[in-house]
Amino acid sequence: MKSINRFRTFIKKPHNIILVVLVAALAYLTLFPLLSLIRDTFVVHPSEIMSVKQSKVGDITLFHWRKVFLDGERSLKLFYQPLWNTVKVSLYSSFIAIVLGGAVAWLVTRTNIHFKKFVSVVFIFPYIMPSWTLAMAWLNFFRNRLVGGAPGLFTAITGIATPNWFAYGIFPTSVVLGLHYSPFAYILIGGILRNMDSNLEEAAMILKASRAKIIARINLPIIMPAILSTFLLVFSSSMSAFAVPAFLGTPVRFQVLTTQLYRTLNGLNPGYGYIMAVVMIFIGTGILAANQWFVGKRKSFTTITGKSSNSSTVNLRKFRKPISVMLIVLVAAIAILPLVTFAIESFIMAPGDYSAKNFTTQFWLGPGSEDVGGGEPGVLRNKYLYLALWNSIRLSVIVALFAGTIGGLAGYAIVRGRGTKLAAFVNNLAFFPYLLPSMAFGAIYLSMFSKPNLIIPSLYGSFALLVLVGAVKYLPFASRSGINAMLQLSGEIEEAGLIMGIPWWKRMARIIFPIQKASFLSGYLLPFISCMRELALFVLLVTPANRVITTLLFQYNEKGWNQWANAINLLIVAIVLIFNTVINKITGASIDKGIGT
Amino acid sequence: MKKCVRFIAALGLLALAAAGAWAEPSADIVAAAKKEGKVVVYSITSRIAPAAAAFEKKYGIKVEAYNLKDGELIEKVTREVGGNIAGADFVISQDSGRVYGQLLSTGYLVNYVPESMKNVIPKQYQDPLVFQFINKVFIFNSEKTQKPVIKNVWEVTEPKWKGLVQFKDPKLEGVNQNFLTMLTSPEWSAKLDKAYQDLYGKKLALTTKNAGYEWIKRFFQNGLLLGNSDTTISENVGIKGQPATTMGLFVYSKTRYDAKKNLALTPMTEIVPFSGFVYPAFLHLTKNAKNKNAAKLFIEYLLTAEGFAPWGKDVGSYSSNPNIPVDKDDRPMSFWEPRLVNEDPAFLFENRAEVEEFVNTISSN
Repeated sequence: MKSINRFRTFIKKPHNIILVVLVAALAYLTLFPLLSLIRDTFVVHPSEIMSVKQSKVGDITLFHWRKVFLDGERSLKLFYQPLWNTVKVSLYSSFIAIVLGGAVAWLVTRTNIHFKKFVSVVFIFPYIMPSWTLAMAWLNFFRNRLVGGAPGLFTAITGIATPNWFAYGIFPTSVVLGLHYSPFAYILIGGILRNMDSNLEEAAMILKASRAKIIARINLPIIMPAILSTFLLVFSSSMSAFAVPAFLGTPVRFQVLTTQLYRTLNGLNPGYGYIMAVVMIFIGTGILAANQWFVGKRKSFTTITGKSSNSSTVNLRKFRKPISVMLIVLVAAIAILPLVTFAIESFIMAPGDYSAKNFTTQFWLGPGSEDVGGGEPGVLRNKYLYLALWNSIRLSVIVALFAGTIGGLAGYAIVRGRGTKLAAFVNNLAFFPYLLPSMAFGAIYLSMFSKPNLIIPSLYGSFALLVLVGAVKYLPFASRSGINAMLQLSGEIEEAGLIMGIPWWKRMARIIFPIQKASFLSGYLLPFISCMRELALFVLLVTPANRVITTLLFQYNEKGWNQWANAINLLIVAIVLIFNTVINKITGASIDKGIGT
Repeated sequence: MKKCVRFIAALGLLALAAAGAWAEPSADIVAAAKKEGKVVVYSITSRIAPAAAAFEKKYGIKVEAYNLKDGELIEKVTREVGGNIAGADFVISQDSGRVYGQLLSTGYLVNYVPESMKNVIPKQYQDPLVFQFINKVFIFNSEKTQKPVIKNVWEVTEPKWKGLVQFKDPKLEGVNQNFLTMLTSPEWSAKLDKAYQDLYGKKLALTTKNAGYEWIKRFFQNGLLLGNSDTTISENVGIKGQPATTMGLFVYSKTRYDAKKNLALTPMTEIVPFSGFVYPAFLHLTKNAKNKNAAKLFIEYLLTAEGFAPWGKDVGSYSSNPNIPVDKDDRPMSFWEPRLVNEDPAFLFENRAEVEEFVNTISSN
């Protein structure tokens, strides 16, 4: 009887129902694939019959494990060195992203700097662009004689030859990834900073705390969860980034785990690749655990309460102008300049020749000429481009709707169920997909859903499979922003509604969502943008009928057909900006509003 | 009347077919193909796009042409045919070791030689059916000199060429890995051994298994620049105004961009013991092809001069149909064959994994 009663109270709370449903769904969609991934490290795959001698497809083997971990110098070059490089790149890029994104977020939300609107719109551009296109821009600017050809624009203009370490390898890889992911920091840290009640700072001021002390004891602890979230996101993303190290590292043979993963998954030894994926997941999980241990040690800081609050801005005084100008220059250099070079490069015929007679609209509007590329028509006349573009938009919108809604609900349920084992478990599960490297995640879903699976029929070649993998992969963004939003929101607000007898869905739709609209909506927008520029996740899953724009873009980049690639890249950026503007006009929210100005 | 016209047309076709210069697909296949109305092809060559457009125009059959990298294509076909999922109806593949071991021995790809081609295409290219040969040769920047800059492949391991030679990262393309693998074969390592003695007048001191491995090692360790694409490499090597003369080992057909892109590229054909390598691209139906007849028709079309036009009008592509002449600036396969390293599927299947690992070990920092 007692247990029945307990059960009744349990299911009376909506957040418990959400948690239970999420456990079932996520276990199936994330833990089950993990098991299948681990299994894949022990079997002989079709392409491995060349390397695992005298074996049949499907045999159980320890070959992969032995080769990756215990084969002396070969393991060193295959695994240990790339692993170490991966860790370094991920740490550096996290550092760059947090410092840069955090600083800009602070300037925009808490100071009286000029051009806030402009900065907050433009600063997210690097995230909209597929990451490797920033790497291409880096090469356009800073390439030197090492790779032959014409030197980059920087050398052409200044006459200074860039050193190799600056042009290729770990340095540019870390910088490009750091820049690409700094909008994470900007959005997550900025969202918290904006809502930070300056009563706290004022109280400290009244108690005669120094500025440094206020930052160290009040500001930093409040934004710490956001910094840690950012670190986790950027570290995991950088770790699974493939295209940037591939483009910037190849000239100096700089190897990371993903470049090895790519080679092995598409080559003779997918088994090696699956092991590397397991290692990456292991590292990611370790960071997640550390993160939680840290956050778990102290209580959350509720910053939005039913009480009045106000936020004041720091007056930069005489530094206002110079800092504003510096910020504008910086933002323009990292966000606008690459776009300008893409635009120019998409119009020139012979590489490196910027004279007027070398300009052509061939790559936009031309019918295709056999002596350049394979007779490929200009991007605006290419039927495959329109198909791919439409697929990308459709996919991103649907994925965003799924991920955003489920993530928002997950955030609500996790925070409301805080302290229970169930909530903690869902919290981890909802974040787990983020730790799975995209390419490996795609590979697992491919092998899992190529055949009927429990209640789900074979999905290979269907659009639904892309939606599924996208929604699961980007759920962490949405659940993170949902959690962040809910953590700030004092429980008393919902309780007020509860006492008035307002039903749950109405409390959600009329009270909770409107108050934290900006945070929740960023839970829709991040998946949308990420999906628009995602490659690795989909590259193994797309079929001709449902290929997406990034696979087309990457193909052009890889083949060295840069004019088409640059044109497509501009299209992607333009489309995301149009969506952002339309959403902004209709709902008042936008990516940059996630932080608000 | 209509019948009569048809008869005369058929007679004419027969005559052409007998001459071997021309052949039309049988009316049955055309009709069946048109009924299917659609065909899906995965191809390692991007010029499938114009060929598809021309085929669409000629027969009114819709084509979905998908350009993939060699490893990607093999991976996709394995999954799709293995899982009996509708995908490509036919494929143009390369990387013979893997095609034999992974796709042909499993029956995933089905050999099909059109009736009209059985007496045209040389027997040795019929099973598996070869679509074309592609060659990658040593090409140098000829802005300053037209004379070949090396005579022996060992020269590229000398300090003089340090950092000036480019090659597509073998991680990214199976055929490059195959070329390296072939060098370690008894035949080629012996030739390399001899070439070393001819050049330096002394025996090669080995630090590896044989002369093939040794050359690969020195080639890579002499600052070899790995690139992401043959197109980019052709630009980086060929662009004018560079201080040093550069060279690369890349797809010969890239020299077709010379005029438009203002590049200076000249191939070398008399290097001892090889001037580059050559590999076949194959044409196959998939086991679970949905549009079998349309696929057969397209395969047949690609083997004609008309269908081969997107490739045939440039250097560096050699149809398996000997009646299709090579580009006027190029030379026929009979010229290239003795000068280039060929693929041996059986040897590749046995040794590729080993060499790939070796290359990975010496080629990362």
